[in-house]
Amino acid sequence: MSARPVRIALGMLGLDVHTKGIRTLSLRLRDEGFEVVYLGEHLTTTQLVQAVIAEDVDCVGVSFSSASYVKQCRTLLQEMERQGASDVPVVVGGLIHADDHKVLQEMGIAAIFGPGSATRQIADSLHELCRGSAESGSEPDRRVQG
Amino acid sequence: MSESRHSDGASHADEQALTTVQLSRTKTWGGIPTKSHYTAADLPAGHNPDEKPGEYPFTRGAFPEMYRSRMWSMREIVGYAAPEDTREGLQRAIANGASGMNVVDDLPTKWAVDPDHPLFRDDVGVEGVSVPTLRDCERLLEGVDLAKVDLAWHSIALVYPLTVAVHKKRGQSLDGLLGSHMPDYLHQVLSGWGAKLVPPNMALRMSADCIDYATEFTPKWSLGVPQAYDLRERGVNPSQEIALGMAIVQACLDEVVGRGRSVDDVASKMAWVSTSDVDFFEEVAKFRALRRVWARTMKERYGATSERAMRLRIAVHTSGKSLVYQQPLNNLSRTAIQSFAAICGGVQSVETCTYDEPISIPSDEAKQLALRTQQILAHEVGAARVADPLAGSYYVEALTDAVERDALAFLERIEEKGLVAAIDSGWLEAEMDAFNVEFDEELQSGDRLVVGKNAFTAEDEETPSRFEERTASIEAHVRRFVEFRDSRDMRRVGSAISTLYDVTRQGGNPYPPMIEALIADATVSEVWGTLRQAFGHAYDAFGIVDSPFDLSPA
Repeated sequence: MSARPVRIALGMLGLDVHTKGIRTLSLRLRDEGFEVVYLGEHLTTTQLVQAVIAEDVDCVGVSFSSASYVKQCRTLLQEMERQGASDVPVVVGGLIHADDHKVLQEMGIAAIFGPGSATRQIADSLHELCRGSAESGSEPDRRVQG
Repeated sequence: MSESRHSDGASHADEQALTTVQLSRTKTWGGIPTKSHYTAADLPAGHNPDEKPGEYPFTRGAFPEMYRSRMWSMREIVGYAAPEDTREGLQRAIANGASGMNVVDDLPTKWAVDPDHPLFRDDVGVEGVSVPTLRDCERLLEGVDLAKVDLAWHSIALVYPLTVAVHKKRGQSLDGLLGSHMPDYLHQVLSGWGAKLVPPNMALRMSADCIDYATEFTPKWSLGVPQAYDLRERGVNPSQEIALGMAIVQACLDEVVGRGRSVDDVASKMAWVSTSDVDFFEEVAKFRALRRVWARTMKERYGATSERAMRLRIAVHTSGKSLVYQQPLNNLSRTAIQSFAAICGGVQSVETCTYDEPISIPSDEAKQLALRTQQILAHEVGAARVADPLAGSYYVEALTDAVERDALAFLERIEEKGLVAAIDSGWLEAEMDAFNVEFDEELQSGDRLVVGKNAFTAEDEETPSRFEERTASIEAHVRRFVEFRDSRDMRRVGSAISTLYDVTRQGGNPYPPMIEALIADATVSEVWGTLRQAFGHAYDAFGIVDSPFDLSPA
């Protein structure tokens, strides 16, 4: 199979300082064969989406340990749409409470990981999610001009 | 890495095998190999069976009578929403029997960001209390005499100048100001705050200037330096906690003592902010080794002569990251053992994590259980009765020695590179990342078992309920802030801000003009943003808000 590896961008937004989980995951996903673009922490949504487009990724993952994640996810998805990147699936992880899963899924979050997710499960889900774009071997073309 | 990798750690099918076959791990949680038993032959060469608590090098405790002379301070965390909400929480904690309160600021306040910052409105008052102005700090502390109540502030940013400003404005003498905060900016660069909040060229100077000012003007105020708790949570083991913490302390002391302050005055104001993780014996060993390393460093490296500088006081918050989301009531067992370890290790204050910390902002019930855990340890278990009860245990003495030895070896590696270079180059962060990756690999392979997480898991687990946020007061608080800010005497604010800018640029200590600017009703964003500008950085770390002041270099 000539599938190219799944390319995923990972990052964090705003004031959240709990970086341990996503930094560990980025290294572990590399071990699992992903191409990980670690975008860093304390990004604005605008910066994050610009980076997602510039890095031409199959998927973007954002980790939240702060409690305002539902609102932040909504803002992020709006910004993805505004910049023309709404075809890139957004997955989230961190301290996401089960009571919020439904509202996050309904707004368009593609997958939700949390304290119960083992690295291997996350890797499997991401493969599943990105199979269309990565395993066909096609290069995604999501760059927006201007 | 283990040869026998499972896909998701130990599952149900393995449960019986795990309980009947063998121990999953013979190393400590932090990675030190252990033997099946210890004998007198394992006592370290330098072991002194006659050492007493309260005596140099203080392995056995900072004070001769330990908890008979002074019980550890049982702290409860408070802080949410508007200042008025947190003031109610303080009163409730006192009524509950907490002997100390830790006040937690919300994220914007921790970042010195005003509550109307367009990017962060949703974070205001959510994870702590919003305190953007001196007026808000006065609301929070209404009825609290800061010469009588010892508040511990769980943050850095501007809490210290805010509290000093309140006390000063009330006309009280700074000599009597009680309390503590954690002015360790170097640790912030390492534990997730990044250079964005505290650019490296500000970090050491902001810590040193704070220590310098506090040593001179607020003798009863304690300084939580190093803030080693966050470093442990970020990803180091107990011996690395000692090493990295000591490297930070030494960097600060080199700077402040280099300015002419006496190590006896400075070191005696410091208290170590530590964690207590789930490996009981290893944590006890850590606290014992830590006091010894501190005492020897102060005496041998800095020539301290005062006992107060050589005996280390330790403040503990039990490990948040050790708690498990699944089957959260199990966390009550974890936190009880962790608190017990801290007390057997002879610490001066303990905050026990709430069992629901992995799930949400702590509920009132969980907070009460956390405090009651400590009260049971103090009054029923007998944890407070005898100082350093594990001294002389072959295992604990050998482990104390092993933790100390590993700590000194890691400290040497940091010193070879230089702390600031070790931070700037990313070497320390890479070490932490490597620790976390190994931990995760061990979870996945089943070499490390965490009950409820990768072993002894339950099907159909009910989702734990969470604390309901109260948002009505936050909206009113933000509105009040904006109205207040827009009605200030801007000439007075501007003049205080100009002074702050000029003093900082000229290399002076920014703390006196920070305090004056807050008294002149400058907001936290204005004070911190001006400091950032004086150090050559953008006013707003996120590049959205511009300074309202026209600052031209004097």
